[in-house]
Amino acid sequence: MRADMLTSILQELNGTSADIEASGIISTDGLIMAAVLPQGLDEDRLGAMSAAMLSLGDRTAQELGRGTLEQVLIKGAKGYVLMAYAGSEAVLTILAKPNAKLGLIFLDVKRAAENIASLI
Amino acid sequence: MAQTDFETLTAYAKCFAGLTPEREKLLVEIGPTVSPALPRITEAFYGTLAAIPATAPFLEGRLDLLKQTHLRWLNGLFTGPFDVDYTKALYKVGYVHVKVNLPVEFMAGGMTLISDRLITEIDRIYSGEDPLRLGALGAVNAILGFSLLVMQQSFQNSSLHEELEKFLKITGMSRALFNNLTAVYSKSK
Repeated sequence: MRADMLTSILQELNGTSADIEASGIISTDGLIMAAVLPQGLDEDRLGAMSAAMLSLGDRTAQELGRGTLEQVLIKGAKGYVLMAYAGSEAVLTILAKPNAKLGLIFLDVKRAAENIASLI
Repeated sequence: MAQTDFETLTAYAKCFAGLTPEREKLLVEIGPTVSPALPRITEAFYGTLAAIPATAPFLEGRLDLLKQTHLRWLNGLFTGPFDVDYTKALYKVGYVHVKVNLPVEFMAGGMTLISDRLITEIDRIYSGEDPLRLGALGAVNAILGFSLLVMQQSFQNSSLHEELEKFLKITGMSRALFNNLTAVYSKSK
């Protein structure tokens, strides 16, 4: 039931923006909780990598005096990976196109993360 | 890190080192004859280590305790039983070596020194008794090889564990996350 509701949040997120190609909710230990992914994308890898990046980002923000981590953004030639905490025990990860409007993406991700946090 | 399967390690190390049941029996048989020479070997061993600049610092303040432990271990080579409990005790040695930051080559180097002394003593004790002398040398070579293999296995595992702990501490990554990350990538090989 809760997994369906989490999936529903992700479907809405993906539907809100044509620039979002995939999204997933992952535990802080790297295990997938829900995902809406295109064919061929390994959800286990997405989960483990996202949690690892956020964990490292957390540590980096602390060590370099940047305060509490809010997001991790990776920019590649083929697009973006954006990770944000959704509560204290989950991570929301999205994959976006290279020409994505980041301002809107950040807003959509923030809202989705808040909804997810309230469910978990 | 996976728990060590001591049964498998014992069998593997024995196979690799040629420590057969016959050689185990021979070690115990020659024990009473060889054991009076062992304190001399321990003294010579630590005398050599004390003269090597790189090894001498590791002996400071603990030489008597090290000699007692060493002699106990040497006697164990000739008493057995060379079973899983024996392997577990040897395995602890590798772990301790990592904890006190001994360089990896100390174990192989140390075993070479011991082997050299034991060969000399066995050769002297069984001079003129060729089948027994050769048999004893083979058995000693096997038990020393077995010991080194087990200790190095432990040293390697303990070193990796220490490095991993450092990595997890620096990155803030939890052990659970690390295990899940490696599981995902192991499965997709």
